[in-house]
Amino acid sequence: MSRGRSWNLVLIAGLLFFAALVGLPFWWVISGSFKIPQEIIARIPTLFPQSFTLEHYQKLLSSSDYGTYLVNSLVVSSLSAFITLLLAIPAGYAFFRLEFKGRETYYRIILLAYAFPSIVVLIPLFGMFAKAGLVDTRLALIIVNVAFALPFAIWMLRSFFASIPKEIEEAARLDGGPPLTVLWRIMIPLTAPGIAAVAIFAFVTSWTEYVFASVMILSDARRTIPVGFSGIIGQYQVDWGLLLAGASLAILPVVIVFAFIGRWFVTGLTEGAVK
Amino acid sequence: MAITELKGVSKSFGTVRVIEPLDLTVESGEFMVIVGPSGCGKSTLLRMIAGLETVSCGTIAIGGADVTGKEPSERGVAMVFQTYALYPHMSVRENMSFGLEMAGIPKAEREVLVRKAAATLQLEDYLDRKPKQLSGGQRQRVAIGRTIVRDPKVFLFDEPLSNLDAELRVQMRLEIAKLHRELGATMIYVTHDQVEAMTLATRIVVLRDGRIEQVGTPNELYTDPDNTFVAGFIGSPQMNLIPAIVKGTDDKGHALIDVPVLDVSGFAVPLRNPTKNLPAEAVFGVRPEDLIQCDKAAASDFTLICELVEDLGSNVFLYNAASREDAIVAELPRGTHPAPGDRVPFRVSDGTSYLFAPDGKRL
Amino acid sequence: MARKPILAFAFVAPALLFLAATLAWPLVSAFVLSLQNVRGIGTSGQWVGLENYRFILTYAAFWESAGLSLIWVLANAVVQTLLALAAALILHQKFPGVRIARTWIILTWIVPTVVVVMIWRWLFSTSGGMINPLLIQLGILDRPVGFFATPESAFATLVFINSWRWFPFIALMMLAGLSRIPTELYEAARIDGASAFKRFTRITWPLLAPTLTVLLIIGTLLSFNVFDIIWLMTQGGPAGGTRTLPILIYETAFRSYRMSEAATIAVLATVLLMAFAVLATRSLARSGDER
Repeated sequence: MSRGRSWNLVLIAGLLFFAALVGLPFWWVISGSFKIPQEIIARIPTLFPQSFTLEHYQKLLSSSDYGTYLVNSLVVSSLSAFITLLLAIPAGYAFFRLEFKGRETYYRIILLAYAFPSIVVLIPLFGMFAKAGLVDTRLALIIVNVAFALPFAIWMLRSFFASIPKEIEEAARLDGGPPLTVLWRIMIPLTAPGIAAVAIFAFVTSWTEYVFASVMILSDARRTIPVGFSGIIGQYQVDWGLLLAGASLAILPVVIVFAFIGRWFVTGLTEGAVK
Repeated sequence: MAITELKGVSKSFGTVRVIEPLDLTVESGEFMVIVGPSGCGKSTLLRMIAGLETVSCGTIAIGGADVTGKEPSERGVAMVFQTYALYPHMSVRENMSFGLEMAGIPKAEREVLVRKAAATLQLEDYLDRKPKQLSGGQRQRVAIGRTIVRDPKVFLFDEPLSNLDAELRVQMRLEIAKLHRELGATMIYVTHDQVEAMTLATRIVVLRDGRIEQVGTPNELYTDPDNTFVAGFIGSPQMNLIPAIVKGTDDKGHALIDVPVLDVSGFAVPLRNPTKNLPAEAVFGVRPEDLIQCDKAAASDFTLICELVEDLGSNVFLYNAASREDAIVAELPRGTHPAPGDRVPFRVSDGTSYLFAPDGKRL
Repeated sequence: MARKPILAFAFVAPALLFLAATLAWPLVSAFVLSLQNVRGIGTSGQWVGLENYRFILTYAAFWESAGLSLIWVLANAVVQTLLALAAALILHQKFPGVRIARTWIILTWIVPTVVVVMIWRWLFSTSGGMINPLLIQLGILDRPVGFFATPESAFATLVFINSWRWFPFIALMMLAGLSRIPTELYEAARIDGASAFKRFTRITWPLLAPTLTVLLIIGTLLSFNVFDIIWLMTQGGPAGGTRTLPILIYETAFRSYRMSEAATIAVLATVLLMAFAVLATRSLARSGDER
């Protein structure tokens, strides 16, 4: 579609606005993490760093278990994403394709779970995990993360499956594929972008989760990035340089993950999520 | 090769009955075309044979074995879908061999079967391509190839040509006909296009509102329709159906009728079952191609005032009214060009007119 | 496949059982807890019937929080939706780099909330933060302001930060709705002589409305449940000015150690939210039927 010149100006202005809204905070944080302390707290802030130092990173890595937090977060988030897919793919497929009694009712109930104030289950869940000896384990976090990602994952996958023409599955039935084979050989390859999107959703949900991680995890060695980082914030209230370095390191892994598969997330989200 | 038998088969979706209980037998090696307007239930019928829809009542047997409750893959059928339904992530080879793999046929044997089918369909050069990289006609061939390799008892086609352009449609029609001849297989083919039905079928089933209107060879349906629906559906342009008044009968088994619209009286129409017991009003049917232009008004049965002429090159059609519902259509020899307002005399070719009861039944 | 209910069961059961154990059962436990007078976590209490409900429903702090939650949800819905709509409309255009823009706008959402909070606390701070100098240079402010000093400004700042975090996610889902509108419609409208504004109001808006409704419902549920951003930023302060229901529940349970009362508030909040979700989805289903 062609646009008039004035519309181009509006478009450019809008783009700049959103680029600044999203990009500037990150730019300030990342560039700030390399500035010397005096420049960070200068009365007139600098858009481009005038100084360069790695002292904040050195201090961060030597005075905290940041590496451990990072590994914990990666382990918890990856496993959460994996288990979410394991549960959500068959369920999403069944809710979309297979006919069984009470299908719509179960589906609605799952959607209602999405409407849950997560804080509500914090108290009872803590009690349950205490009984099962799961408090202060990463498994507890994985269970919680999967629980919160699962309803949305099923909902998304169901609409991805719905976007596959019915005839393709019928052809597979005529070809004699048992349902599990049809799912594995036909449906999963065809919904790959959607599945990637769901995996990223679950990964990010776990990566950013704070409340449960702060309550369930007691020992420093099992902390995830959000909790570990909030500990550092509490400990070094005004050492902005250190905090900026921590923030930069917490951003880095998701940015790397996203640089490789982010495109899938966006196509997945825009091609099937909302019916 | 097998007889396909439907006994008392019906289908309801909720309270809506889309297929009335019907019986149908498709003989071994036959090319049966199910034809009807959209929404007549023809696809549902095919899908019930395929096992993609359950039957509400009745039984389906293929090759003597009752398959009513069986999975599609256990019925010995293969199907070509309207949208082809090729697996987009698989190569042509994988598309064709998927069913064989599911049936547990070893890889080497699959390759042989796929090659053979590809040779039949001139697809050898495309075996490693993905469906996306193929033209419409090639995709169609792959869809057919996928059915051939499995050597099914019955081939099912669900409007397979409706997504192709006109030229390709004719070409694929010929290829399917050739395939049927070469394989000698039983084929059941659904279409809304009566030309496909006439050209491909050994027998045609005309379906309307979930009921069978008539079953017969293409020629039977064309020359001896059971009712006004079949008479109107088969043939293009469709048969002229004109209100008439029955005056009586003659001793040769003809009905004598007046057709006020044509200003005709005492015209003799052959009856299928000669009887004196005729309704007072009836419908007179005559095909455009059976109206013959006369040189002299004296030899004619009636005169049509030309309103519109459609020149198709190979033949010319005259309409006596601008709207198709009211118009009487007559075929003129090639190169004839009457002007609007011209009075053109016609006679009805011998033995090619029909009489129907007001409810549509043939008299 | 209708003939194989066992298969369907095998596909659905793991997910259902998992959710039953991790969400449904705790919810039931919370309800049981709300009928007792448990104080600390893991301690036992007596049955008190509906005593907690009687107390909470006459408890001023509960109603204040409920009111704040309502304003919180509404304010976020407005800010979030407007930002998302503007972003979606821009990302729907064709321009060089649009793919990159579509991918990276989500950056605000994939970063841990703790980091989001730290970033904005720093940017809004009076020592070294960028916002104050920026607003002074633009002439909007004449001297630095403590954004978290008064309840109103803290609340408004939190709405901004939360909307900042969520709007790209909503925008991408809107983009999905936008890309489903056939381009032929716009071309037809151009041929009919409709201006860009008319094309938006007469084509984009009505056809996007169903998507917007779904997203408003989702957005409402998401913002109601927001806990971490508020807690990490203000802990409900100053003077309870940002103490929404999730904050009140957490405080009651883990600061005042009144588990049963916290559970009572939680149950009430759940009932409220579920009622909204059911009503909203039902009206959505109805308008969906009409289409």
